Amino acid sequence: MNSSFKFRKFKNIFFMSLFALSSLFVLIPLFLIFKYVFMMGATSLNFDFFTQLPMPVGEDGGGMKHAIWGTLTMVGIAASVAVPLGLFCGIYLSEFDKSPLANALRFCIDLLTGVPSIVIGIFAYILVVVPFKSFSALAGSFALGIIILPILTRSTEEILKLVPAHMKEAALALGMPRWKVIYYIVVRSNLSALITGMMLALSRAAGETAPLLFTAFGTRFLSFDLQSPMASLPVQIYTYAISPFDDWQRQAWAGAFVLIILVLGLNLLSRCLINYKAIIDFFKKGSP
Amino acid sequence: MNTNTETDLEVKNLHAWFGQFHAVKGISVVYPKQSINAIIGPSGCGKSTFIRCLNRIHEEVPGARSEGEIILKGVNINAPNIDPVSIRRQIGMVFQKPNPFPSLSIFENTIIGLKLQGVRQKAKLMEAAETCLRKAALWDEVKDKLHQQGTSLSGGQQQRLCIARALAVNPSVLLMDEPTSALDPIASAKIEDLMSDLKKEFTVVVVTHNMQQAARIADYTSFYILGEMIEHGLSSEIFTNPKVPQTEDYITGRFG
Repeated sequence: MNSSFKFRKFKNIFFMSLFALSSLFVLIPLFLIFKYVFMMGATSLNFDFFTQLPMPVGEDGGGMKHAIWGTLTMVGIAASVAVPLGLFCGIYLSEFDKSPLANALRFCIDLLTGVPSIVIGIFAYILVVVPFKSFSALAGSFALGIIILPILTRSTEEILKLVPAHMKEAALALGMPRWKVIYYIVVRSNLSALITGMMLALSRAAGETAPLLFTAFGTRFLSFDLQSPMASLPVQIYTYAISPFDDWQRQAWAGAFVLIILVLGLNLLSRCLINYKAIIDFFKKGSP
Repeated sequence: MNTNTETDLEVKNLHAWFGQFHAVKGISVVYPKQSINAIIGPSGCGKSTFIRCLNRIHEEVPGARSEGEIILKGVNINAPNIDPVSIRRQIGMVFQKPNPFPSLSIFENTIIGLKLQGVRQKAKLMEAAETCLRKAALWDEVKDKLHQQGTSLSGGQQQRLCIARALAVNPSVLLMDEPTSALDPIASAKIEDLMSDLKKEFTVVVVTHNMQQAARIADYTSFYILGEMIEHGLSSEIFTNPKVPQTEDYITGRFG
């Protein structure tokens, strides 16, 4: 074995271990976060957390029912507008990617992705809170929608661009109108990836604190009124975590744990729904 | 040998561009009904672009355009008022690389064209699938696994599936862009046999790099260089007695 070959082998091993080590380093913070949140959060968690409103300082128990409800409501309202909009923009960008409008749109979306979330909060404050003279759930949803929009648009665009041109050509050559090609060949065959992209954007919005601080503001009560302040898990966690009270801090950990589970659960659920058909098919026919 | 002199498809002075690049330079040719027409020529001579103009899929590439007349059954289909979608249902196309839709089963791949045209009755679709798969000489190999994915088949089978898929929308002309260049000799031979069968019902235009293939199956052969048609005629004459020296150089392997 000559020396240059040995050196090459050494380089190979060296870089392989470098890559493995980097991957480990990336995983460490993730595991630590999970471990701490689980240790601190799961122990403070009980059934009351989901069914009770906050108790005054000093009284035991209480929960964050109102904040869980608030997060689900505001993310839901934001998604109902931003998800279709983001999907359509993403489809437009991937299918008509050379048009001047698409280039302008892509540039704006990139800028929007770079805007800090606190700035989006201020923007929503000026645009919704000030004219209506009140913090409101709608203002919070508006801010969250602006968070979702650019993430979803770009992820949709990137996913759909992976569809090979020859697939689209095959469909066009069968005499399919362009919209059917986009719907059946481009979108339908990538549904699971699109849903994953959507869930990532929604989880991102569900975890945002800054845009909600001065839009939805927060409340101690369960609110169904979209025009008044509404609590949310991140803001509630923030309020409780900076408080000097021990039981509030424990509740903050529990809230963090619930938030992670919520986001993770949404992700897993969506994947299961997408794979549902494949699973059924598997049991029916014994092949995917 | 083809004896049919009735014209199915006629091309008059067809030009095609990609942006500024002039890829096809004024080609005029007549394709008789129920014939196999081969197009040969060195890479980059515009032969693929030419047949992609015939079903107007060339214009789907950004910046690409074509000019000239393509007359199918007496109508110029290269006119702006003609919907390319309706043209592509009359002129089917098979591509170089087998490209069945990956998420669909063999059955769904075969009838997707019909299904998206609005045909919903199960019995009708099933009948169409069997007919087309039989025409594509694939039925016996797949009849027991119609619900497996189209991509689970071998390359040659996938290509025949693509042919069946193109036949299902009931075209009168079938364009084939190097349909066997990604296949092994045995699979290629099956496709060639299939083309000879298809000729009874369809007018076939096939681009090929394989001159033996053109000589074996084509009634007429055209030879292209740099976007121009150098020679066109009966295959028997092109391959035994070419009139243009460049054709002779190419088919004898001295050029190209």
